[in-house]
Amino acid sequence: MSPKAEDMTFTRGEKLPRLASRAFSSSARQLKNKVPESQKIFQEDNGLPVHIKGGTGDVLLYRATMTLTIAGTCYSLYWLLIASFPQKKE
Amino acid sequence: MAHQVHAYHMVDPSPWPLTGAVGALLLTSGLAIWMHFHSMTLLTLGLILLLLTMYQWWRDIVREGTFQGHHTPPVQKGLRYGMILFITSEVFFFLGFFWAFYHSSLAPTPELGGCWPPTGITPLDPFEVPLLNTAVLLASGVTVTWAHHSIMQGHRKEAIQSLTLTILLGFYFTFLQAMEYYEAPFTIADGVYGSTFFVATGFHGLHVIIGSTFLAICLLRQVLHHFTSEHHFGFEAAAWYWHFVDVVWLFLYISIYWWGSCLSSVERMPVISAHPVLV
Repeated sequence: MSPKAEDMTFTRGEKLPRLASRAFSSSARQLKNKVPESQKIFQEDNGLPVHIKGGTGDVLLYRATMTLTIAGTCYSLYWLLIASFPQKKE
Repeated sequence: MAHQVHAYHMVDPSPWPLTGAVGALLLTSGLAIWMHFHSMTLLTLGLILLLLTMYQWWRDIVREGTFQGHHTPPVQKGLRYGMILFITSEVFFFLGFFWAFYHSSLAPTPELGGCWPPTGITPLDPFEVPLLNTAVLLASGVTVTWAHHSIMQGHRKEAIQSLTLTILLGFYFTFLQAMEYYEAPFTIADGVYGSTFFVATGFHGLHVIIGSTFLAICLLRQVLHHFTSEHHFGFEAAAWYWHFVDVVWLFLYISIYWWGSCLSSVERMPVISAHPVLV
């Protein structure tokens, strides 16, 4: 038998108010608005530039990108060296 | 911390212009190395670097606007000017390819048989898949406008639905066009007809993919509550770009698909002194 609205609870054990049983859409549950949390993180007065202000993930991605940048520059100079020598004609 | 006494955005120092420039260097030199030395490593490296740069640069813009509040009205005005100027530059890009098409098709040379379409070319029927493609893009223009009004009126679910529909229509166009490319009786190597057809429609198709991607990012941001009913310029920029892509298609359809497939009895009369050369 379907439970009464007063008896329904959230996973954290809070009771569902009567009217709220009609507040959910029939599809998957709505995503919670996390913008205020992000605003708090990115407005924190820690002197960090925006490209690494998000945390460890930012720093790792930045390091990976800069590594590829420097390595790639060297690799292109290597090919420039190769290409500047006369090629053996077969 | 000192606070600014003006409404403009003084950006934090960023590494992405440098990584983007190096990425472009690797992409272009990588292309040359691939052609001459058959190695794709440099090219692939350039592509990865460019993708990483684009992801992080635009991620930072979202942070600056949505999370840090830097996109004040004067700043937004600058962003609007920027997007309009960019789209204008893209209009000129396509203008060149239309110029090439009309140059060759308005005065077809004797080598082509003195007619357009050239001798031996079977053009696509403009009233089959190309017409469906036109309907698909026009419909997507309607759905993206519907999405805009939904956002402005704060109807979250409707905005998500109409934006999703717009993206699906964009994918459908790309799928149909890919099928057409596969089934076409002529190739890019088939003289100036093939060149003008595939370069013009090919660059358009690339822009459809770019536009669909931009709209998909907007869908993600709409789901994540980034847009408000008063402030959603990222979406507006994507919608402008999408309308531009739609208008380019309409010009392509009328010029290349429709007018370009018509046979005129006068044009079909070969010049007596020349003979048509199979291209």
